[in-house]
Amino acid sequence: MDKSKSYSTIELWAKLFQAPTVNSYLSENDSFINQITFSEYITKLCESKGEKAEKIIKRSNIDTSFGHRLFSGKRNPSRDTVLQLAFGFGMSVDETQQLLKISRHTPLHPKVKRDAVIAFFLNDHKPLEELQIALYDNKLPILGGKKHEQ
Amino acid sequence: MNSKELLENLNNAYDEYHYPADFLNQYNIMECLAERNGIDTFLVQDREEAKYIAKCYYKERLKIDIKKDILSELFYDGLPKHIGTFENDIMYVAVREYIEGQTLDEYAFLNDLSENEIKKICVKICDILGTLHHRKNPIIHRDIKPQNIIIRPDGGVALIDFDIAREYQSGSDTDTIFIGTVAYAPPEQYGFSQTDARTDIYSLGILLRFLLTGSTRENKNIKVYRPLEKIIEKCTAFDPKDRFDDVDDIKKALLKANPKSQGIKIVSITAGIILCAGLLLFGGIKIYQKITYSPFSDDAIPAYMSDEERINDAVSYMKEKYDTDLFDEIDDIATIGDLREIMISIYGLDRDYVYGINMDMPQESDEYFLPWGWDNAQTIDRDIMVYAAVKAYDPSIVADWSSLKDDDGHYPGVRVAVSFAEDTGILTGVNRPGDLTIGDVALILANTDRVFESKKQ
Repeated sequence: MDKSKSYSTIELWAKLFQAPTVNSYLSENDSFINQITFSEYITKLCESKGEKAEKIIKRSNIDTSFGHRLFSGKRNPSRDTVLQLAFGFGMSVDETQQLLKISRHTPLHPKVKRDAVIAFFLNDHKPLEELQIALYDNKLPILGGKKHEQ
Repeated sequence: MNSKELLENLNNAYDEYHYPADFLNQYNIMECLAERNGIDTFLVQDREEAKYIAKCYYKERLKIDIKKDILSELFYDGLPKHIGTFENDIMYVAVREYIEGQTLDEYAFLNDLSENEIKKICVKICDILGTLHHRKNPIIHRDIKPQNIIIRPDGGVALIDFDIAREYQSGSDTDTIFIGTVAYAPPEQYGFSQTDARTDIYSLGILLRFLLTGSTRENKNIKVYRPLEKIIEKCTAFDPKDRFDDVDDIKKALLKANPKSQGIKIVSITAGIILCAGLLLFGGIKIYQKITYSPFSDDAIPAYMSDEERINDAVSYMKEKYDTDLFDEIDDIATIGDLREIMISIYGLDRDYVYGINMDMPQESDEYFLPWGWDNAQTIDRDIMVYAAVKAYDPSIVADWSSLKDDDGHYPGVRVAVSFAEDTGILTGVNRPGDLTIGDVALILANTDRVFESKKQ
């Protein structure tokens, strides 16, 4: 018997993405102290992947000078910007949840359709452009908001 | 799979019928900020990309009649503005202003607040509470804590999260329902007497202590400016009669206190550690009102513990009470087989009942213990563990649900069990959604045991 059939969609997604519920996400013992900053984290990530920040910024479709300010810690990213960077890094859903957490944003949540679309596209390692087209076609706000619409 | 197929699958799977259609026409759901007890809180934006908060109430699960948004009658700078409401058979949605800023816990951590600054913030909170308490039908917020207070970029203070605030009805002896945060909740919220404005006054006292000392608990090692300490003591007196009657009196007392010191001398690391401990307490432990749940009983779920302590405590509690070695390997991943053995040897359930499978339909039933044809080697989900624990102690809580279908058509009993667990605090310290360890299993069972022990009293 296929057990997965007995799960509702939302439960299935929670399983598929291992998405933490908001409650458990917030109750984890992470504190403000000893937490690596977002800019340190993405800089280290570039180093470990042997990638240049420029490339990531380009693939994330983020304005170059704004991107560099993110890497140097002069600006804090919005949640959408973090998600764009996740595509730029080619992250999995789990890695993206981690990145959202470090940037102190809410995790991708299966109850939010837009998040679900984003998670599916991350999971399938689709490029950012395909996601943006899919969001636009489905009348969902694209990453980065209206300023990115052509 | 190409993008088109991917999206098609997703659209087929994703059903938004439970949201009122006009709500979805007007707003896009952007982020899930909280989900608890049948209330989902979302960050939404309109077509102009302006942000709002939407509180979605599942009527079925809440079993309450919502007549209006409590905020629709309140117009005050320190409160989120009411924007609109939407409704269908399944859901009631209240859209409110999204208040930009930092939560007070974050703000207090990032800024080294002086006693004077703390005083100013608390005076502003008094003003907000005054507008709520001094109405003809006073509104008690009942969940005053740093996470529910926003410091705006301009320094203004706002109180948010009006999930559970309700109008005070004089005359009734006890509240019908209570959900709050334990560290900030006064004794009467555990069921001693009806909560009134002095409930918020108690929480305000704890909040003041937290801001001054970094801890919600009294710490004799941290010296607090005496007049402020006196205010905390009077706010948090056990008997509501000994507390301030009115937030205006607190405001007066605060304004009278004039601390000289410019900063609180706690080494930041210590403050961090204390703050962490404090943050743990904000996890949202809830009390089920039907149970006369005494915070002073030995059987109560311990309120102040780290997650690790909690698991060790639960394991020794279970070992001692049931004289068993089944919980020895606390870090091992638990299996359905382990769960079945526990149910048979500790709870004395019948082997056939525990192992029985409904071959025709994977449904919940009174006939068998578990709803699915689980294989012994499978790992355990949090939800199924909660279902098993609650069913082991009181099958009637989940019974009678098997024939009903919830909005998704699946396993209402599991949801009822989880909702019961959320309400009673059974989920306290349980952080994993799946692949529970033996320690997690012990924790859920010990918490359940304690809830039912205190129910007996």
